[in-house]
Amino acid sequence: MASISLKGLNKTYGPLTVVHDIDLEIADKEFIILVGPSGCGKSTTLRMIAGLDEISGGELRIGGDLVNDVPSKDRDIAMVFQNYALYPHMTVYKNMAFGLELRRAPRDLIDAQVTAAADILDISHLLNRKPKALSGGQRQRVALGRAMVRNPAVFLLDEPLSNLDAKLRGTMRTEIAKLHKRLSATFVYVTHDQVEAMTMADRIVVMKDGRIQQVDTPQQLYDRPVNIFVAGFIGAPPINLLPATIARRGEQFVAIFDGQELPLPSHYDKARIAAYEGREVVLGIRPENLHELPPADIPQQHLAPIAAIADLAEPMGSEVHLNVTAGGRNLIARLSPRFRARIGSEVRLIADTSQVQLFDKDTERSIHH
Amino acid sequence: MRWLRDMWTKEGPGIAKDAAKKHGLALFAEIIRREWWEIVKLNLLFILASLPIVTIPAALAAMASVSVALVEDRNIYLGRDFWAAFRKYLWRATMAGFILSTAIALGVYATVTYASLATGALVFAVPLAISAAATVFICVFACHDLVLMVMRDLPLVQRVRLAALASLARPLPAIGAIGFVAALWLVHILLYPVSVFMPATLNFSLGMFAVTFGVHRAAVESLSRVTSMRTSRGGGAAAQNT
Repeated sequence: MASISLKGLNKTYGPLTVVHDIDLEIADKEFIILVGPSGCGKSTTLRMIAGLDEISGGELRIGGDLVNDVPSKDRDIAMVFQNYALYPHMTVYKNMAFGLELRRAPRDLIDAQVTAAADILDISHLLNRKPKALSGGQRQRVALGRAMVRNPAVFLLDEPLSNLDAKLRGTMRTEIAKLHKRLSATFVYVTHDQVEAMTMADRIVVMKDGRIQQVDTPQQLYDRPVNIFVAGFIGAPPINLLPATIARRGEQFVAIFDGQELPLPSHYDKARIAAYEGREVVLGIRPENLHELPPADIPQQHLAPIAAIADLAEPMGSEVHLNVTAGGRNLIARLSPRFRARIGSEVRLIADTSQVQLFDKDTERSIHH
Repeated sequence: MRWLRDMWTKEGPGIAKDAAKKHGLALFAEIIRREWWEIVKLNLLFILASLPIVTIPAALAAMASVSVALVEDRNIYLGRDFWAAFRKYLWRATMAGFILSTAIALGVYATVTYASLATGALVFAVPLAISAAATVFICVFACHDLVLMVMRDLPLVQRVRLAALASLARPLPAIGAIGFVAALWLVHILLYPVSVFMPATLNFSLGMFAVTFGVHRAAVESLSRVTSMRTSRGGGAAAQNT
């Protein structure tokens, strides 16, 4: 069992607190990703789990055992670093075998483990080469292999793909996800790349300023963000955040933005929304919920027109990202590549309001979740 | 200081899995370029192990064992593997070294003697040719025998037979390797005292690597023949049992 439990975990440097009382339960064999902007405390949290940074307060348990004061080498974990941290004077084989050598493992076992890991990672042909001859992707595989040979209960990966080019990152993402399935170990992965987080994780931990904002599955994070930060952080292009005022229209509520009424979905908690009647809120609409034509599969009552001025069209091949201005705000819409807008002229977009998000303007928290 | 850091951390071009494999002299040069530092360290180990003189054959065998790993692109832990091989082949190599060095010395003696006699009477040209050929063959045989000894544990008779067969089947690479060794020492002598550090740094290990590289293919072919014979014998026995 390699479940990880963080209870009130914090990290301080003198008067400065960089991780604030984090509570997190990571299940055995789970692939969990800590994501957030630079300086949010995700790497520090990982390093505390690894035992590379001292824990200032709180409890850290691995497999049920309190490990606050257990040295890193005795925690049954392996860490993969962003800069690979390979020993340049050693061959790939020796880099991978080093951890087992230190533990005085028998040579046959070392050989078997290194060979097996190299086969899995497809680096058998590199075993007798030194890191200076290897490309970034190959170095990263070696770093993964070095972690694998020890057969640890927990893998800690600190932005392992950040130094790779975009194409290779895509390939390695898939390989790490496959590796997790194959090894059946607990993976804790740190990244600032939301695409990595969304595509690989069982659950994502979104962090900001040393605090956890939300812990959820990728889809739930996308569909039900708990605050404006999470809504804005997850999703590319980012969610459109618009100032709107809540008003009642009979039994229904609408959000009024730039004089246009956007009906709110009937399944939202009316009692909660009623509390905001007449008040300004922040309305979140994902770019894919803005359409050039009314979609046939969405009921008419969830559709509302938005008049805007086209500023810039970014053709992406499979879609066009249309930047528009409406009510003095910049919006982005993901439209069909066949859509042609005249820049500077008015366009009429159709908003699908069944998926809109509502946030309290002051607390920035979601109103309806 | 960035250049210094880059020297260690800068990414390389990568090594394609399906890249065309080098052969012959190109492979020889590539291994030397890649493993030159290991070769230098190997030379120092050899000198250290040879200090008692009588241990020279065992040190040669240990050096051959490491060289085989270099040729086969296998991982080595130089110090550990060298001394392990030194201990393992101590008696076998000493015995073989004594016999073969005596045979080579006799061959050289006979060749020199017949050569001096042949200048007076042409009839001695025949034994001169025979003794010279025999001496070269013993040298080639010694190279194969040493490499076969460190590649697989075989009964003495079988090893001798295989070494003789390999020497007959592919003598030229071994002769080429011996020529390379001779050239190394010639360069040392010609460039002395500039080349004063050559024996201390690479002459022995580079020479042994060249010999191993030269005879490796013949040794592998001989050993695969043994393996296939055993397999067919095992298969025949199994067929008889059924």
